[in-house]
Amino acid sequence: MKKTILQAFILLSIAAGIYLLISRVDWMKLFRVEKMTDALEQKLGDMVWAGMDEQSIEEGKEYDRVDSLVTAICKSNGFERKKIKLHIMGDSEVNAFALPDRHMVVHTGLINAVHNNDELSGVLAHEIAHMELSHVMKKLLKQMGYTLLISITTGEAGGGAIKELLGMLSSTAYDRKLEKDADIKAIEYLKKAGISPNGFADFLYRLGEKDGSLGSLSWISTHPDSKERARYIRGE
Amino acid sequence: MSSTFIYHPTESEAEKASNSYLMSLIAIMVGFPLPIINLLATLFFYIANRKSTYFVRWHCIHALLSQLSLFVINSIGFWWTISVLIREDEQVSNPYLAYIITVFVVNVVELGMTIAAAIKTRKGHHVFWWFYGPLTQLICKP
Repeated sequence: MKKTILQAFILLSIAAGIYLLISRVDWMKLFRVEKMTDALEQKLGDMVWAGMDEQSIEEGKEYDRVDSLVTAICKSNGFERKKIKLHIMGDSEVNAFALPDRHMVVHTGLINAVHNNDELSGVLAHEIAHMELSHVMKKLLKQMGYTLLISITTGEAGGGAIKELLGMLSSTAYDRKLEKDADIKAIEYLKKAGISPNGFADFLYRLGEKDGSLGSLSWISTHPDSKERARYIRGE
Repeated sequence: MSSTFIYHPTESEAEKASNSYLMSLIAIMVGFPLPIINLLATLFFYIANRKSTYFVRWHCIHALLSQLSLFVINSIGFWWTISVLIREDEQVSNPYLAYIITVFVVNVVELGMTIAAAIKTRKGHHVFWWFYGPLTQLICKP
């Protein structure tokens, strides 16, 4: 009996040793996981944006206003502004979202709904945080994972699932934890840029009240508990 | 390793004992990537032969025990993969890749040993693996 226990212990030690030895190799680098993810992100970003760019406004008063706010946040936080591909879309929906490969889409509905630049900066900082924290790809890869699992279990690998997957990208729904992480990062970015986060909190609070004057509230309908978020942004 | 059994098995016993190892090989093809299929196949084969001769029972348990440890290792890999696929806070990482490669290495080694065991027992030889042999000896009595 003692001999068997000793052999079990040795066997477990050998298995653990093999694992430790194998984990010494940088497999992420060897398999070029990050490079592959970046290349995938770029392709997906282009693919998704290709279906949307017809409604995009790339110049004008509204574009310049958002552009100056994004530039200010990037400059204060040491981000390369050039990497963010800003797009303004003529849509009455109160919405803003980040797509793969740093495409940031802001609806004119959102621009019209904010009362001042601080409120708009809050939303922009929140979307920049999603990009900086790689939430866009995380969300996308999880959706791909679900699609893959559904395909394996149901045997359906049709285009419907892929279409649905791409549709999910324009929705702003993230995991509750990721939303909070993005809010906390956004506060950090705003403070560094010398912008009060209270504007962001005010905007969230107003959206939480579902102000009828704001029209279609996509941004808020896909984000959890906006009043609660407004409270923690204010530090209450 | 091979050793001498307490009696010389008949042709039919050798065939059944060899099949206990082959069950897990067939299950690899059917069950991949679900890790439980291999275990179930060897378990059902053992249940079907639990009243068989000592040589057959011994090898059924031997094969079952080896599949049991493989089941634990593979299950961790399987659920880790599911977690990477669906959880937003879990990603492909170096520890994950290292574990999956370890699982692959262990499975390949186990596969080779199982094939060798199936061939040897078919010839009537007694296969006695390190750790699994003494453990089977403790569980399976004549």
